[in-house]
Amino acid sequence: MKRTGVFVCHCGINIAGTVDVKKAAKELSKHKGVVHSEDYVYMCSDPGQNLILDAIKEKKLDNVVIACCSPTLHETTFRNASKSAGLNEFQCEIANIREQCSWVHKDMDKATEKAIKITKSAVEKVRRNESLEPISIPVTRRALVIGGGIAGIQSALDLANTGYEVILVERSPSIGGHMIQLSETFPTLDCSQCILTPKMVEVSKHSNIKLMTSSEIQEISGYVGNFKAKILKKPTYVDADKCTLCDECTKVCPVVVSNEFDLGLTGRRAIYIPFPQAIPATYTLDISACPGLLPIACGKCADVCEPGAIDFDMKPEIIEEEVGAIIVASGFDLYEKEMMGEYGYGKYPDVLDGLQFERLLSASGPTMGKVLRPSDHKEPKEVVFIQCAGSRDPELHCPYCSKICCMYTAKHAMLYKHHVHDGQAYIFYIDIRSGGKGYEEFVQRAVEEDGVLYLRGKVSKIFEEKGKIKVWGVDTLAGKDIEIDADMVVLATAMRPSEGAEELAKKLKIALDKDGFLSEAHPKLRPVESVTSGMFLAGAAQAPKDIPEAVAQASGAAAKAIAILSQERLFHAPTVAKVNVNLCTGCGMCVDVCPYDSLSLKDGKVEVNEVLCEGCGTCSATCLRAAIQIRNLTPLQVSEMIKVSLGG
Amino acid sequence: MAEEFEPKIVAFLCKWCSSAGSDLAGVSRMEYPPNVVPITVMCSGSVSPLYIFSAFKRGADGVLVSGCHPGDCHYIKGNFYARRRIALVKKLLDYIGLEPQRFQMSWVSAAEGKKYTQIIKDFVQELKPLGPQTKLRSNS
Amino acid sequence: MVNLEDLKNEAHKLLKEGTVKYIIGYERGTNGLLPIPAFIKNPEDVERLIWDPTCVFNLTRFLVDEKRRKASEKEPDERPVGVIVKGCDSRALVVLLQEKFINRDDVYILGVSCEEAGVLDEKKLAKTLKGKKAKNIEFTKNDNFVVMTEDGKTEISAKEILAERCLECKANFPVIYDILLGEKVKRKSDKPFGSLEKFESLSKEERWTFWKEQLDKCIRCYACRSVCPMCYCDECVADTINFAVTADTTAEEKAQKIKWAEKSPVTSENFVYHLVRAIHLAGRCIDCGECERVCPLDIPLRLLNKKLEKEAKELFDYEVGFDPDQPSLVSSFKDEDPEDFIR
Repeated sequence: MKRTGVFVCHCGINIAGTVDVKKAAKELSKHKGVVHSEDYVYMCSDPGQNLILDAIKEKKLDNVVIACCSPTLHETTFRNASKSAGLNEFQCEIANIREQCSWVHKDMDKATEKAIKITKSAVEKVRRNESLEPISIPVTRRALVIGGGIAGIQSALDLANTGYEVILVERSPSIGGHMIQLSETFPTLDCSQCILTPKMVEVSKHSNIKLMTSSEIQEISGYVGNFKAKILKKPTYVDADKCTLCDECTKVCPVVVSNEFDLGLTGRRAIYIPFPQAIPATYTLDISACPGLLPIACGKCADVCEPGAIDFDMKPEIIEEEVGAIIVASGFDLYEKEMMGEYGYGKYPDVLDGLQFERLLSASGPTMGKVLRPSDHKEPKEVVFIQCAGSRDPELHCPYCSKICCMYTAKHAMLYKHHVHDGQAYIFYIDIRSGGKGYEEFVQRAVEEDGVLYLRGKVSKIFEEKGKIKVWGVDTLAGKDIEIDADMVVLATAMRPSEGAEELAKKLKIALDKDGFLSEAHPKLRPVESVTSGMFLAGAAQAPKDIPEAVAQASGAAAKAIAILSQERLFHAPTVAKVNVNLCTGCGMCVDVCPYDSLSLKDGKVEVNEVLCEGCGTCSATCLRAAIQIRNLTPLQVSEMIKVSLGG
Repeated sequence: MAEEFEPKIVAFLCKWCSSAGSDLAGVSRMEYPPNVVPITVMCSGSVSPLYIFSAFKRGADGVLVSGCHPGDCHYIKGNFYARRRIALVKKLLDYIGLEPQRFQMSWVSAAEGKKYTQIIKDFVQELKPLGPQTKLRSNS
Repeated sequence: MVNLEDLKNEAHKLLKEGTVKYIIGYERGTNGLLPIPAFIKNPEDVERLIWDPTCVFNLTRFLVDEKRRKASEKEPDERPVGVIVKGCDSRALVVLLQEKFINRDDVYILGVSCEEAGVLDEKKLAKTLKGKKAKNIEFTKNDNFVVMTEDGKTEISAKEILAERCLECKANFPVIYDILLGEKVKRKSDKPFGSLEKFESLSKEERWTFWKEQLDKCIRCYACRSVCPMCYCDECVADTINFAVTADTTAEEKAQKIKWAEKSPVTSENFVYHLVRAIHLAGRCIDCGECERVCPLDIPLRLLNKKLEKEAKELFDYEVGFDPDQPSLVSSFKDEDPEDFIR
C-alpha cells in the first residue's frame, strides 16, 4: 500500500473561514493509505513547504496531496517542493478547495464535506499516478520558410541573421512575390522595387539561406523540432551559374505567351527572365510554352547560348531537408477575374485590377511608367476606381474586408494624378478604412491636394459605349444617380488565399479558416502560430494585410521559430496516451479522433507518437475497449475519483 | 419537518475552459450550492460514457459534463466529439426512463464564472424536486 | 429468386479450385426446420447447403472466431474464407471492414438477397402454428408464406411470421459481395424505426418500468455478446467475467482492470452492462437481431440498439454498414451537429 500524505492549507482565512480544516485533515487521516495528514496556515510559505519536505522524509511518503488553491497557482510550487524531497513531480497532486469550494460556499458543514471529497479524490488519483519524466526531444536547428514574398523574405533574413540555416522555398522562378510588382507604396510613396530588391539580393548572398525557387513542398512529416520536408525542385532548363543574362535566347525564341509579371499586359517568350531584378538572376524555360523538348522541337535558344547554360536534360529533383521549425508565408492572389463579370472585368480591356494598374504606374512596367489605356494606348482622362470589388459582399463574393484596398486605391488615384495632371479620378467606396500610421493623412492628401473625388456608393453597371466605359452608380451621400464616361476603370479586387493554399495546408496539417486563409492558433493571443506546434504563419496567407503588417508578422514568426531553434532539446509533458496492445484491435477510431495526428496503425495495433500527443484523452473516451489511456488520468483513476466524490 | 433533499452531483470539467471558469467563479466569490464535486479532466472529449454510467451507479443524483465552446477547444476539436458522444448517452438515458434533467452538458469558457454558477444553481434546483436517483443506483 | 443450385455450384467451384479454404453457410439441423451453421470444406459437401427464410443466423460472427483461430496457427492457410451473407449480415461485414477487424482479402463473400421476403421469427412461427411443426416453408409472390405442416398447407401473411427487423429492413440485399445471388430488390418495408414508435410514446416512468422489468430478467449469460459480430473485443470493458489475463499481463495491467459492472445480476449492474453494450454498439449495430433471438429471457434488446441507430440517423445523418471507408459514428463529427441540449 502506497503511503500518502495530505496537507490542508488554511490560506489564512480564505479556506479556513469556510472549511473546517482541522476536521478535514482528521477525516483524511482515516482514509485508506493516508499515513500523514495535517493542516497549516499557509502551505505555500517556506515553513509550510518545509512541513511537506519533513513529512515526506520522516514518514517515508510515496506521494502527497496538497489541499489548497487552484493548481494553476501553486501546482508547480508544490511539485518542485516534492521533487526536492526526492519524489517524482507526479507524486504530488493538488486538491482545489479554495476556488472550487471555500470561496463559493458559505455553509461550513457542507463546504467541509465537499472539501473532504475533493481531497479524497486527489488522494485516489495520486496513489495511482506513474512517476514520469518530461519527454525530451532533440531539435534540428534549421528552419524552412515556404513562400518568397516579402513575408517569407523577412522571416528568412531574420532567422539567417540570428545564425540559423534557412531553406527558403518559392514555387515561381523568382522571389519577390507581389510586392515586387508594385510601383510605389503607401503612405510614403517610396518605390517598391527600390526597397525590396536589396533584401532579395541579401537573400541570394546570405550564407545561411538556401534558396530554392521553382520548387514546391511535396510532403511534410515529423513534428516540432524534427520536421522532414520533401521538396520538388522543378527543372528550369537553364543553369543559373552559367547564365550571363545576355538575353540572346529570348531574341530567337519563337513563342510568345502572356507575361504573368505584368498580369497579361505584355507578352514574354517561352524562355525568359521573370523581371530584370529576378533572384536568382537567371533565365528560365517555361516548359508549358516551349514547343517541346522530348523530342527537341526547336532548340534555338540552346543554339545561341554562348556559355552553354541551357540544359534540356534537366530533370525534376526531390530534395529532402530536415528542419526544426516551419514558417508558412504562402501569400495571396487577387480574386479571380471571372468572378467579377458585373464590372466588365475580363470583357473590356480598359477595366483593370489593382495589380495591373500598379504595373501601368511602374517605371519599369509595360508602358514605362506612363498611364496609358491598354486598348488604344491613349492617356485616360477620367478614371473610375471601384473599391470592395469582391470584398465585403457575403452574398456574391467574399464576406471579409481585404483591408489594403482603401489605401492602395487612394494611392492609385494620387499617382494617377501625378502622371496625368489634367485627369480626374473618381473613387466609389462603401466607407474608408484608413487605420494605420499616416494612413488617414494620406487619404486626406489624395482628396485635398490631388482633387480625388470620393463617391460613397456602389456601381450598378459598367458597359462600353463609343470608346468610353460608361459607369453607372449612385452617390448615397448626395442621393443622386451618377453616370461617368470613363476612359479606364480600376477594380480594387479582393485578396484571396494564394492558389494551392488549401493543398499546402493539407500537407502541413494546419487548418484553414472559413475563407480559406491559414488559421492561427488563437485569434488574439497566438496570431503567428498555427495550431500545429512548430509551424508559424506570416503575411497575407493568414489574412489580408499590408506590407508593414506582413513584415511585422514575419519577424514575429521568425522570433517564434528562433524560440524553438535556440534550444538543444525541447521538453514535452509526459502525460500522454499509452496503448495496451493486448486489448487493441486496430480499429483506428482513436486515430480518426486524434487532433494531433499522434496516433497511427502499425501491424494492426495503434502506436503513439509521444512527442505529438498533447494528452487530451479523446482517444481514450472513443476506444471501445479501453486499450488506449492517458497516463495519470486513466479510467481507473477517474473511476476511483467518481467513487469518493460521491461519498463512497 | 424532514431535511430538504440535497442532490449529489459529479461534474466533469475540462481543464482549460470549464475548470478555469469555475476557478473564476471562486476568484469572483460567486456563491453557488455545494452539491457539486468537480472532477477535472483534460478535455470534455475524454469523458467516456462509462464515467457517466458509473457515476449514476455510484449514486449520483446528477451528472454534468462541461467543456469549451465549439471552436475554443484547447485541443482543437475534442469538444465536438464530446458533443456527439454525450448526445447519444443523453438520448439513451432518457430512453430507458432516467429523468432527463439528471444528465446535463454545458459549454463554459474560462471567462464564464457567472455562467458556471448559474448552471450549478439551476441544476440543483431542477434536481431537488426529483428526489434521490434510485433507478441506476447500486444498493450495495 | 435465389436459386439454391446456383449457390451450390458457386460453392462447389470455389472449393474445387481452392479459391477459399472453406465456406460458412447454412445446413438443415435436427430440430425441425431450424438450420445450423455449416462449415463446408469438401466440394462434394456443398449438397448440404440450404438457403431459405429459416436461415436467420448472422454467419459473420464466425469470421471473428476464424480470425482468432488463424492468429493462433503457426502456418496459417492464407486463403480467404467463403461466407454466405444476407443484406443485414453484409452490413455487419462492412462494419468489420470499417474497423479493420477483417481484411477484405480474407473473405470471399457469397451474397444472397432476401429479395422481397426476409427471415422468419421462429417464436412468431411457433405461435402461429400453435404447436404444429413446419416441414417446409416457401415465399409466394403475394407476400405470403406457404407453410407445410403435418396437417397440410397453410398460407400465412409474411408480416405475421417474418422477423421484426426484416419488416423494417432498409436494404434486404447484400451491399458488399464477390458473388451476388438473387435480385437486388427491396421488400416494401414498414417505417424504418416503426417498432420504436409504440415504445417511445410511453411516458418516462412507463419506459423505466418496462426496462427495469426487462433488464431485471437478465441472468448475465452473455449470449447476446457471444453471438454479436460487433462484440469481438477480447475483453469486454463492461464486466469482469472475461478479463483476459495472460502470462504476460503485468501486475500494473491487472491493477488497471476496472469493475464498471459487477457480476451479480441485479438492476444496477444489469443496467450498466446493457447501457455500455448499447452505447458501444451505437453506429455499429446493423440490426441482425441475433442478440434478441438468442436471449433466453426474451429481453427485447433490439429496442435498445434500434433506438441509437435511429438517433444516429436523425441527429447525425449517420447510416451504418454501407461504406467501409466512412469514419465511425463516434470518431467523426460535423460542425452542424445538434447542440440544443447543451447549456
